[in-house]
Amino acid sequence: MAALPPSADFKKTWNFVQPGLDFILGTNDEQEGVTAVMYMSCYTAIYNYCINKSRSVSLIPSIIGGNRSSDSNNSYVLPGAELYNKLDKYLTKVLKDVLSEKHDNLLEFYVKKWTRYTIGARYLSNVFEYMNRHWVQKERQDGRRDVYDVNTLCLMKWREEVFKPNEKQLIGQVLELIKKQRDNEIVDTYLISTAVKSLVFLGIDVQDLKKPNLVVYINSFEKKFLTETTEYYQKESSDFLAKNNVVDYMQKCETRLNEEVLRSNNFLEEHTKKHLLETLNKSLIEDHAQEMHDYFISLIKQNELDHILRMYKLLSRVPKCLDPLALSLENYIIQQADEKFKELKSESEKLVEDQSKVKSKPKRGVTNVDTKTYIHTLIAHHDKYQGVVFKAFANDPKFIKALDNASRHFVNKNIIASPTERSKCRTPELLAKYADTFLKKGGKDVDTMDMTADNLMIVFKFLNDKDQFENYYRRQLAKRLITDTSKSEELEESLLQRLQVENSSEYTSKMTRMFADMKTSADLKSNIRDFGPVKDFNPLILAQNMWPFDYKEEYNLKVAPQLEEQFNKVLEYHDNKYNGRQLKWLWHHGRAELKANLSKKSQKFTFIVSNPQLMILMAFNEKSSYTFEELHEIVGGSKNVFEMHLQPFVTYKLLIQTPEGESAMGKEDTSFKIVEDYKSKKLRVNFVGAIKSIETKEEEDEINKEVDETRKNFLSACIVRIMKSRKTIKHNDLVNEVLPQTVSRFQARVIDVKKAIDYLIDKDYMKRLENNTYQYIS
Amino acid sequence: MSTPKIIIISSDEEKFTVDQKVAEKSGVLKNMINDLNPDGLTEDFVAPTPNVRGIVLSKVLEWCEHHKNTVFPDEDDEDAKKTAPIEEWDRSFFKVDQEMLYEIILAANYLTITPLRDCGCKIVAEMIKEKSPEELRRIFNITNDFSPEEEAAIKRENEWAEDR
Repeated sequence: MAALPPSADFKKTWNFVQPGLDFILGTNDEQEGVTAVMYMSCYTAIYNYCINKSRSVSLIPSIIGGNRSSDSNNSYVLPGAELYNKLDKYLTKVLKDVLSEKHDNLLEFYVKKWTRYTIGARYLSNVFEYMNRHWVQKERQDGRRDVYDVNTLCLMKWREEVFKPNEKQLIGQVLELIKKQRDNEIVDTYLISTAVKSLVFLGIDVQDLKKPNLVVYINSFEKKFLTETTEYYQKESSDFLAKNNVVDYMQKCETRLNEEVLRSNNFLEEHTKKHLLETLNKSLIEDHAQEMHDYFISLIKQNELDHILRMYKLLSRVPKCLDPLALSLENYIIQQADEKFKELKSESEKLVEDQSKVKSKPKRGVTNVDTKTYIHTLIAHHDKYQGVVFKAFANDPKFIKALDNASRHFVNKNIIASPTERSKCRTPELLAKYADTFLKKGGKDVDTMDMTADNLMIVFKFLNDKDQFENYYRRQLAKRLITDTSKSEELEESLLQRLQVENSSEYTSKMTRMFADMKTSADLKSNIRDFGPVKDFNPLILAQNMWPFDYKEEYNLKVAPQLEEQFNKVLEYHDNKYNGRQLKWLWHHGRAELKANLSKKSQKFTFIVSNPQLMILMAFNEKSSYTFEELHEIVGGSKNVFEMHLQPFVTYKLLIQTPEGESAMGKEDTSFKIVEDYKSKKLRVNFVGAIKSIETKEEEDEINKEVDETRKNFLSACIVRIMKSRKTIKHNDLVNEVLPQTVSRFQARVIDVKKAIDYLIDKDYMKRLENNTYQYIS
Repeated sequence: MSTPKIIIISSDEEKFTVDQKVAEKSGVLKNMINDLNPDGLTEDFVAPTPNVRGIVLSKVLEWCEHHKNTVFPDEDDEDAKKTAPIEEWDRSFFKVDQEMLYEIILAANYLTITPLRDCGCKIVAEMIKEKSPEELRRIFNITNDFSPEEEAAIKRENEWAEDR
């Protein structure tokens, strides 16, 4: 090993070190690597130089850091400045020499030299470690920002001497290579990635050397790169679409996007990725979203779900581009629904015509369509597009919403539910009927097997007039309950539970109460079972406002004496238990079975009769013949009701009317005699079915009346609640607050709200102030 | 093939063969080994340390060997460095004459073995602690170059620090 230079002699020290530095930076032509001897000699010479001066003035200065000759502000001088400046000049010369070397291709030359230089710079920094650690650190702590550790110094020198003078040409070459690669030429990607990475290293934050800084990368490269990318893809996509269809274009986009992501992973900084994607999304997708939108309908017509998914995925990169697509889907579903229901309507009309050419054609097409078919068509249509939303739109909430909107539209508005623009929507009624079909006993399993609560809930979700459905449903439920025709209590209750969960407990409160009444009545039944001749006596006590039944004066029957005790027991039991409630018999509901001993062949007949009919037949236990007037007197009720229920006995020849004939039926002195030998093929005879009912039409009106009334109350309650909290409110604000609150029940119209407001003003709940404002009157 | 060793040569040409792990307790040696063998060592590596005498190097390497598995607090964590107590082993390690003590500290500084340097400095600090100027002059062999007036003035200025 060559003898180390005297530590105090700067010139000798430098001359000793420099050949080693040449080796380290690879500037001499020799191919040998740096040896350990060379490395350690340089390190030691620099160490000795740095430590020398301080050692001469203090015992162990570099450790304690003290210096007796320090000035008053306690700063001290470490040796290094001279060495640092010399190194700075040396690097300048080294790099100038590098640049002067002959080269054909700047980029290749740059990358080759950079690679070697940065390795050298790292060695160099380690060799100058002692200077870095003491002198450089001290200078920077004292606030100098133009002094760097040796590695950074090397990079700064490279930036000034090599990069800056060649920046334009160099970046141009890199971008040219990227373009070639986009054009599918094979290029040396190492050149791109190394050159690009060098820009990252050259970004140095002089305030904090350790902090990454992309300023050189962004200003010299990224900006130009993004501009070129835009230009490239603007041209490419326009050219491509001019010659190819949208599906091909979408595939092209996917390929391009993948390529660019791969490229950015390979050469680009994280920072660029976001901007690159924005650039690509703009020129590849957003700029051509219109073409894709235009193509969507033909894709969905051909059920090309894969292509639609492709379109969805591309467009979802620019979320605002999805909105028109969702709208297209919504409109398409509605339009398809319209066609489907027109088809269904004409099919079923044709079916009816074929079946019975004789029968007169029904006036309204709607009655033709089978309820089940109708409801199942709604569901099938919904399910079909639910599948589309799942497969082609990844269940994106935007598209789920489009489907919901469309479903709400076609469920409430289609040619079957409302044949004309203004007719009331029949879906609530048909849905309730659908429910009744599978909830009641007696349906064939084959027919009701695929009718489920799940189906019901799908349609229910989209009903606008949920209150109407509730009304129809409740009426049918009432019938099922009192006539004991429910298929399964469990099924009924689980469905009620689902309606409650989907809507609210308020919505199902009446029906819940009905079930409660049924349970209470069962208790009643077990308590009064043993008082009287009627077996299986099953009186029901039903709360008046919950059940869709009204007391009817014309059915004011007189209880037959044989039954009186038993019937009174009910009243007695009830009065004991619930003081202050009034019970009224709803004679027009309920059935009775009578065993009749009216046959000479001693056949035992069972007659199924209504309550008035029960009273009529009971009377014949006393006497075999009555005049109309006598019998009416015994039975009670209005003359019409009495006559209506008497009629079937005559028709089915249980009573012999004298004189005969329909006109004589209601005359006071017409007599009715019971036959002694009744003849019927069946042992069970139902006299109820033959009662000429006039109630059907009434029920429809009743429902409408009840719904209107409930809506009015609901709106009034909403308004009062709002007024109570706001005290004063503008008309428009009030309307806008009320409307959303009704959605779970029905779609209120502005005019309904206005009517409710007028009603409340009339009733002094609120008053009008000037400029369209209302005030609450407490 | 056995694991490559590092052969460290002192200024007086004495050779010490140690494990790479032991040698790399020295920041300088670690950097050099990595710089010159970027793909890892395949054969024994000779590293000269021209500033360190064999007798000192042997002490330093004894310390490196003992501490080859010790994890020292982070270089930048000044507080942890300052508060760490001197281990018993280190204390007896430093039971050497003053000249050797200083040479070990200097070698640690030169070879960038920061924990060893810090530990040596603490030993020196303990030597200074609670000693009178006269004692210190004797211990460190310092000639009093203050005039009596200067010395009196300094004593007055620093009276507050006297422990009485």
